[in-house]
Amino acid sequence: MSDADTPHESAEHSHHDHDHHDHHGPGYSTPQAAIEESEPEELAYVMSLYVGTDVEAPDFVSVVDVNPDSDTYCEIVDRVEMPNHGDELHHFGWNACSSSCHVEGLQRRYLLVPGVRSSRLHVIDTKDRRNPEIVKVIEPEEVFEHDLSTPHTVHCVPEGKIIVSMLGNADGDLPGGFLELDHDFNVVGRWDPPGEIGMNYDYWYQPRHNVMVSSEWAAPKTFLPGFDLEDVEQGKYGRHLNIWNWETHEVTQTIDLGEEGMIPLEVRFLHSPEAKHAYVGAALSSNVFHIHEDGDEWAAEKVIDVEAREHDDWEMPVPGLVTDLLVSMDDRYLFFSNWLHGDVRMYDISDPANPRLADQVWAGGHFGPRTPIDGKREVFGGPQMIQLSLDGTRLYWTTSLFSSWDNQFYPDEGEQGSVMLKADVNPRKGTMTLDESFMVDFGDLPNGPARGHEIRWPDGDCTSDVWL
Amino acid sequence: MSERYELTLEWDVGRVETVRAKSDQTVVVAALDGGVQLPVGCLTGACATCTGELLSGELHHRRPPRSLKPRHVDAGYVLLCIAEPRSDCRIRVGSKVQSELVENPWK
Repeated sequence: MSDADTPHESAEHSHHDHDHHDHHGPGYSTPQAAIEESEPEELAYVMSLYVGTDVEAPDFVSVVDVNPDSDTYCEIVDRVEMPNHGDELHHFGWNACSSSCHVEGLQRRYLLVPGVRSSRLHVIDTKDRRNPEIVKVIEPEEVFEHDLSTPHTVHCVPEGKIIVSMLGNADGDLPGGFLELDHDFNVVGRWDPPGEIGMNYDYWYQPRHNVMVSSEWAAPKTFLPGFDLEDVEQGKYGRHLNIWNWETHEVTQTIDLGEEGMIPLEVRFLHSPEAKHAYVGAALSSNVFHIHEDGDEWAAEKVIDVEAREHDDWEMPVPGLVTDLLVSMDDRYLFFSNWLHGDVRMYDISDPANPRLADQVWAGGHFGPRTPIDGKREVFGGPQMIQLSLDGTRLYWTTSLFSSWDNQFYPDEGEQGSVMLKADVNPRKGTMTLDESFMVDFGDLPNGPARGHEIRWPDGDCTSDVWL
Repeated sequence: MSERYELTLEWDVGRVETVRAKSDQTVVVAALDGGVQLPVGCLTGACATCTGELLSGELHHRRPPRSLKPRHVDAGYVLLCIAEPRSDCRIRVGSKVQSELVENPWK
C-alpha cells in the first residue's frame, strides 16, 4: 500500500514520543517482503510460568538465545520477572505490526503481556532486546471497571491501537468481549458493544475483507480451575465462531461448528491480505476447520480429523487435542500441534479446502518418545504453542498448555518444567526434521522448574502480523 | 472491631506455618502479612488457584466462590483469596490441593 492511500494515517501520531527518526512504519510491506527482508531470529521471547506451583516466585518472560553462532545458544539469557505472583502469562503481542507499516514513527518495540488469571496487563519495552524491561502495569481493577476480565489474544490494529480478547466479565463469568488500548497503552474501554458475544477466546482480522473471526473457550470460572467433562456435557464449553464486521464492531454471523467443533481455539487467516481463507483448530474434537467466504456469508467445514487413539493406560481413547496452529508466511503450509498425542503436523494447503498431510514429527506426549533427543532430558508434555521463522524453515514449540490443565494431563510438566524444541522445515520438499542440537530446558532455572508457553520473535512472526 | 484468629497452614510436604488473621482479612492476605506466599491467581474467586482444604474451624467466603462446584464446597475446599476466618482454623494449603478439583476424565 502506498503512502498516498493510507486511510488510517492520523495526526495523533505526529506527537508520539518515539526516539527515532525512521520514516518507515513497523513490519513489512507484504508477507513476501517479510520472508525476503527478515533476518533469521536470534532471540525468542517465551511466556514462562510459576503460577499454580509451590515455587514462590512471579511468572516471567524468558529471553531465549536461538542464534546457533552464539555462546549462549539454547539458553535463557534473561528473565523479565513480573511484579506480582499469580498472573499466568499465556499469550502476548506487539504494540505494532505490519498492519501499521504505513504509520511513520511507530515501532515494533513494546510487548503487551497479559496475565490470564490476574487480568493484569504489563507493557515491556524491548528496546534492548536482550534485556527488556517493564515500563507500565495496568492493574486488574482498571480492567474490571469495564466489566471484563481474563485477557487473552493481543493484536495491534491500524492506527497503533491494541485490541485484547477478554474471556469473561469482571466476575469471571460470561459474557466476554474485547478491550481497546491506545498507542500509549491507556485503556480506552470496550471495543465491542456489550452483549455481542457470550464466550470468547482467540481472534484474527482481515481488514481488506472487513472481517474478524473470534472463537470460544468457556467462561473463565469454568476453564480456569481445570477441565471438567461434566461442563462439556452441560454445554459450558464453546463450539461457535463469531464473524464480525471489522469496521462497525458488530457480529454479523455466528457459525455453529457442531459436535465436531468443540472448543475452537486459535484462528489463523492466510497472510495475503487478499485471502478469504482461515483455519481454526477445534481442540477437544481434535479437528481443523477451514473458514472461507461463501456468497455473502462465511462458512466453516471440517477439513482435518485427528483420530483419537487407544492407550494402554487410559480407559478412553486419547484425543489429539489440537491446541495451536499457524500458517507459514508464504501461505503454503499449515502447522498444528496434537498436545495429548505428542506430534506436530505439517499440511500442504495449496488447495485450502483440501489440506494434504506433508510431514509429522513426534516428541513427548502420550505417544511420542519420552526422550526424543538421545542424551538430553525427558519431555513430558506434547508439542503445544508453535512458532515458525518468517522464512518458514525453522519451527519451534513449547510443551505447556495451561497450568491447571497440565496438572490433569501431564502432572510432570509443572514439576520438571517445560522444554522448547525445534524442527528444521524444508518447504520445497514438505518435510520436517527434529533438530537434535536444539533444546531449551525450562526445568533448570534459579527459582525452580517453569512452564513455557507462547513464543514470539522481536521482528514479527507468523502469528503476529496482519496486512491492510 | 474485627476479631483476631489463628490460622494454621499445613502443606502436604510437612511444612506448617501459623499466622494471625483478622475477621475482615482473607487468608491469602493474612498469610502474606505473616510472610507466607500462598498460590494465587485472580484474587476474586474465579480461578481456584488458591484452593485450600478446611481441616477444622470456620471460614466465610466474602463473595460467591464461582470456581468451586457444589461437590467441592461439600468436600471442604475453600478459596483462600476470598475466605475470611470466623474462628481459629487449620487449613491444608499448597498447589496440590487445587489439582484435586479435577482429574483426567479419560484415564
